Amino acid sequence: MSTLTADSRRAVNVGAAPSLQERWQRFTGSETFTAYLFLMAPLLILFAIKIYPVFYNVFLSFTNYDLFSPLEFVGLKNYRDVFGAEVNIKAIRNTILFAVGAVPIGTTLALVVAGLLNQPIRGRILFRFLFYLPVITSVVVSAMIWRYIYSPQFGLLNYAIGFFGIPPQQWLNDPSLAMPSLIIITIWGALGGHMIIFLAALQDVPNELREAAAIDGAKGWQTYLYVVVPLLRPVILFVVVTYTIGIFRNFGLIFLLTQGGPQNTTNTLVWEVYQNAFGYLRFGRAAALAMVLLFTILVITALNFRLLREENT
Amino acid sequence: MAAVETRNRLMGPRLSTGLIAIYGALILVAIATTMPFLWMVATSVKYDPDIFSYPPRWLPTQGFDFGNYVDAYRAIDMGRLFRNTAIVTVADVLAQILLGAMAGYVFARLNFPGKKVIFFSLLATMMVPFEVLVLPIFLLVRAFPLAGGNDLLGQGGTGLLNTYSGVIFPNLVSVFGIFLFRQFFVAFPREVEEAAIIDGCSLSRVFWTILLPNAKPVMGTMALFAFLWTWNDFLWPLLVIKVDSLNTLQLGLSSFNQETGTRWAELMAGSVMVTIPVILLYLFLQRFLNQGIATTGLKG
Repeated sequence: MSTLTADSRRAVNVGAAPSLQERWQRFTGSETFTAYLFLMAPLLILFAIKIYPVFYNVFLSFTNYDLFSPLEFVGLKNYRDVFGAEVNIKAIRNTILFAVGAVPIGTTLALVVAGLLNQPIRGRILFRFLFYLPVITSVVVSAMIWRYIYSPQFGLLNYAIGFFGIPPQQWLNDPSLAMPSLIIITIWGALGGHMIIFLAALQDVPNELREAAAIDGAKGWQTYLYVVVPLLRPVILFVVVTYTIGIFRNFGLIFLLTQGGPQNTTNTLVWEVYQNAFGYLRFGRAAALAMVLLFTILVITALNFRLLREENT
Repeated sequence: MAAVETRNRLMGPRLSTGLIAIYGALILVAIATTMPFLWMVATSVKYDPDIFSYPPRWLPTQGFDFGNYVDAYRAIDMGRLFRNTAIVTVADVLAQILLGAMAGYVFARLNFPGKKVIFFSLLATMMVPFEVLVLPIFLLVRAFPLAGGNDLLGQGGTGLLNTYSGVIFPNLVSVFGIFLFRQFFVAFPREVEEAAIIDGCSLSRVFWTILLPNAKPVMGTMALFAFLWTWNDFLWPLLVIKVDSLNTLQLGLSSFNQETGTRWAELMAGSVMVTIPVILLYLFLQRFLNQGIATTGLKG
């Protein structure tokens, strides 16, 4: 296409030296000019909200700053503090616990449900809508509903477990149950999104494979487990990574339901970043914590790429 | 869907025990995902005695109290919150579509120096989640030059804090959106454009008159994603908005509980009202959702 534009314009000008006006027109009609004209606004904004903040955050993590007193450089002090403070180590551990608690169960569940939905059934669109409802619901609404369901005095959940002879629980107020409570909400909230990704991938699996397996005498679920699921490995990896990162980013549920408590059992890295930045105005410390969070996310993403590459070679 | 056809072709549709088990399992999952919503709706029309009854009751014994909706609407001035949220959401949705389409077109069709570097830098930024950068973005928005009493260097005032622009700003462009549009334009046939260019049509006119009008499916996908993201966003408005009159719906709803103690019925009524627009938009745009996932294999 570039040759087309350039050639058609050049043809007009054969022989004569181009005037200033013609040169200007050629310049403004060029691909490079159009490209940068179109990219100007998006790139400026992305620089401001994506690239500059990364460097600014790195810078802040080496300083002691709180908006009110003058900024001073403290070197690696913030990082030493992060890894020296028990509460921060606990936050890192809680973040990992959160992911370990939700991702394997959540991913398996999404895979199973997608497999079921990919069967010859009626009402697929309705089911998909019902499964997707929690995904489109805001974290605030989800938190409000679940707070009521978890209510120790008149909650639906305590009533339900009563049928199995389990005594009422404190859920969000119980140090040993608060994190599992958040994990349940997360699994509920994320199921539909990941299911849809698996469903899209399942519909790309060639039928011949299934039929061949069926002829070899494999039952439906066997076909699914041994023939289809291995083919989905790249998608499963993708879901595991986005799921994990999604949990690392989870702020709303913690803010709205537990505020990191009870006894710091739901205190995660994101919550520590928020607390340090906007609660204690310890910007340097918050920035250092954010760097730890970012680093963890980058490592997980890189691992994923590597696994995928090994898969392909 | 392909499985359906195979099955029908091989043995015709039939209701085997296996199929019944599948329906049973799906219905079980559907109950699990939907129950909290039914509970929300049921609670939203109850009088207090039913709310605080134990064991909990699904259906009210005291009659339906639809007044909860009016009370909730008044308690947090929801008319204003709807307007605030709509302004922020519409601005971000339109910007993400327009800027995403322009950048997507450039990366799909034009060659220029620096293209690869820029494109891969953009992809790299997708790995950095917003939550990691809240503090530097907050400080940037606070120090926005010549806004909110700031001088040219961004000092002295509050910048874009407590403004619509402050809420809108970090969501103006979505790299995911750029990527989505690029994928669509790459797959779009070039013949029409090439004919137009030979006829002397400029590249930007090609974009505005040929490519953009044909990109409606991606626009639908983007509209849905951008709407969900900004309408439901909580963290960023929480940081930027500190005056009640500028609250978004999510902020208003979250403050509800603190202000009124445990007014569960009103809280649930408010939650229903906040969620309805999202459900409607999803139902309206859900066909685009599948296309979006099909073209990119990304994002849940």
